[in-house]
Amino acid sequence: MTAKLRFFAKFRELLGTDIPVPVPEGSTILSLVRDTAWKNKEGYDAIFDDKGNFHEFVIVMRNGKRVEHGDAAAARVADGDEIAVFPPVAGG
Amino acid sequence: MLSDRERERYKRQIMLFGNEGQEKLKKAHIFVAGAGGLGSPVSYYLAVAGVGTLTVVDMDTVDQTNLNRQILHTDRDIGKKKTVSAMEKLTAVNPDIRINAIDARIDEDNVAELIGNADGIVDAMDNYPVRYLLNQVAIAKKIPLFHGAIRGFYGQATTIIPGKTPCLKCIFPKAPPQEVFPVVGATAGVIGTIQATEVLKVLLGSGDLLTGRILVWDGLAGRAEEIYAERIPCCPACGIGGTEMPAGEKKK
Repeated sequence: MTAKLRFFAKFRELLGTDIPVPVPEGSTILSLVRDTAWKNKEGYDAIFDDKGNFHEFVIVMRNGKRVEHGDAAAARVADGDEIAVFPPVAGG
Repeated sequence: MLSDRERERYKRQIMLFGNEGQEKLKKAHIFVAGAGGLGSPVSYYLAVAGVGTLTVVDMDTVDQTNLNRQILHTDRDIGKKKTVSAMEKLTAVNPDIRINAIDARIDEDNVAELIGNADGIVDAMDNYPVRYLLNQVAIAKKIPLFHGAIRGFYGQATTIIPGKTPCLKCIFPKAPPQEVFPVVGATAGVIGTIQATEVLKVLLGSGDLLTGRILVWDGLAGRAEEIYAERIPCCPACGIGGTEMPAGEKKK
């Protein structure tokens, strides 16, 4: 099983994007993003808080649909899923 | 009716949408919240396109650190109210339209009144608390909200049509942290001109709007991508049982 992880803006700068990721049995959206982001501490810290949860402003999507943070820990990743992680910006 | 001068001024765009289109723009009133990085290109392009009435609200004074991106303001304007500077520039580029430049801090008590009977709201703010107020008024008045935001070489834009598309709170339920954000002026140019284009499309009733999707601009990668967004039925702003309402609107 393989999924694709897409990071945007600052997250892309730190972690790359369109990353094909093998999906170990039982992977959830949260665990898959965590495992992928782990390779770059700055990237990880940009996405997750010190408890390993998504920062509250981070937008997580699966196949174009938003995933609530509370559901990301239970949502199993399926073969071919595309997971997008996006940091909204605030400036004007 | 368009004057001879107006027909001449807008000749190259009347080729696109005719005198009728131009008259629609002339009759329109657009509210631009902010005369900074995004507000500059948005209000310039709406002014030169001939949007008949522009209300521009800002509470700040022009500072030297604004000048790398806020192209409404020049070195000579440092120390002036942004509304005064904006009024001068916009009147100079198009004396045939009406500009209301209001020096005010947008808050929950005045936001509905400031927006008044505008036909649309451009979000050119630099913070989410005020963006959420604009979102509430857009929903209450059933007028479009043109969202844009920038940071560094990155930007995002989407068009919100209350009742039809996800609202700002459906898309961004939690605000990113406030900060003194790094930015280049060109990013404000990219996103602001997308917002201005969306305003013109809504007023003219043409094209496919940037609705139900967020355009994500990555200037460093040289890519524009889209993220799809859906209405959230339990959204506190626009969902069933939505209760959030600026105080100024509740009193009516």
